[in-house]
Amino acid sequence: MTDIVVKTVEELKDAPEEYREAVSKLVISHAINELYGAQVFDEPAIAYAPTPYAKWLTCRVAMEEYGHHVRFKQLGAQMGIPEERMIPGTGKKPLSIFEFPLKTWEEFVAIKLLADLAEILQVEDLLHCTFHPLRNLARATMPEERFHAQFGEDFSAELVKTPEGKARLQAAVNEYYPYLPSFFGGSKSRNNEIFRKWKIKQRTNDEMRQDYVKRATEVAAKYGLTLPGIRQAA
Amino acid sequence: MNMMLPWALLDPLRAEVRSGSWFAALGEPLTEGDLNDASAYLAALGFGSLEIGLARDWPEAERLLKTPDGTLSWWDREEALRRSLLAAAEARYPERALWSSLTELTTEAGDLAHGKAATAAARMGEAAAASIHVAAGAASQAVYQLALARLADQPASPFESKFRLYAAGRWPLGIMGSRLVLF
Repeated sequence: MTDIVVKTVEELKDAPEEYREAVSKLVISHAINELYGAQVFDEPAIAYAPTPYAKWLTCRVAMEEYGHHVRFKQLGAQMGIPEERMIPGTGKKPLSIFEFPLKTWEEFVAIKLLADLAEILQVEDLLHCTFHPLRNLARATMPEERFHAQFGEDFSAELVKTPEGKARLQAAVNEYYPYLPSFFGGSKSRNNEIFRKWKIKQRTNDEMRQDYVKRATEVAAKYGLTLPGIRQAA
Repeated sequence: MNMMLPWALLDPLRAEVRSGSWFAALGEPLTEGDLNDASAYLAALGFGSLEIGLARDWPEAERLLKTPDGTLSWWDREEALRRSLLAAAEARYPERALWSSLTELTTEAGDLAHGKAATAAARMGEAAAASIHVAAGAASQAVYQLALARLADQPASPFESKFRLYAAGRWPLGIMGSRLVLF
């Protein structure tokens, strides 16, 4: 482990190059994934929401996700990262889940229930980050991510009240869940090794994945849902 | 293509958002100004003359929004209009500048409206926690819609009068049956 604390973006200029590159990779990754999520899932879901209440709640969730992208992009800009590196379609390959456009309201509920839980774990791991601007951003983002996961729980509770709704939700879980554990990256990730070396992140990808599977299983069980088998991380 | 960046064009709207009385008049008796703006909204959206109703508290507003009486044709008309305005705006401005300016405006408006909705809910009581998010979503959607109308240079859009209702402290809940309900 290497002890370093970077309290401001200004101080980052004096940090070792490996540290600066690692922090930049994380900021770029979060900026892109937040934007992908908002574009591919949250914004299209507004049309599928069944009532004005659900539609406007989904509007707010979508705008918060876009807002997360804006915050990460603003931090990246302060760090000197070119804007085009923080926007999808400009080099970084998207996560596989983003290749499956949303088709139903139940799919969106399943994504909020399970994919946003994965997002919570990612943000949790930054709450003690040695780069304090990123740590602070994670802390600002966390309550909204928790609300989004709660959104998934609340609408899951509604859907499972009828056998038809529960079957549709289970089908959506079956379709999307297998892609989620790979969200945490490879078991032998060199990036993760560097993140932990500098205490930018705290846990290995496998530790986070195991925790995620445990928590996803628990939350699914609350609503009488089961999780299908998972795909192995690359 | 208009090379004037959308940020500059949206500055007046940003100022209107900041000075709005978001959610300050929820449940209060309707004024003549509210009724005029509501009627203008209905006419511009093509619904003609409908009764204007009032939701008096958060539980009533929540019930109406969760179980709307009738179709969501008003929502669908707004959406069709939004899409046409977006296409017009996309034809006028560089894509990334347009997208960034709208995202930054609605992010700021959403955060502001969220705080105002939370204040209103705390003052009136009985609001579900999620309803504060719903109110903020509705308000920031109204800002986004009006931004598109301004960028597309469509001053007769229903989104002008809809925004004025929000700026006056109201929350238009939508057309429920044969009534436009304001909160």
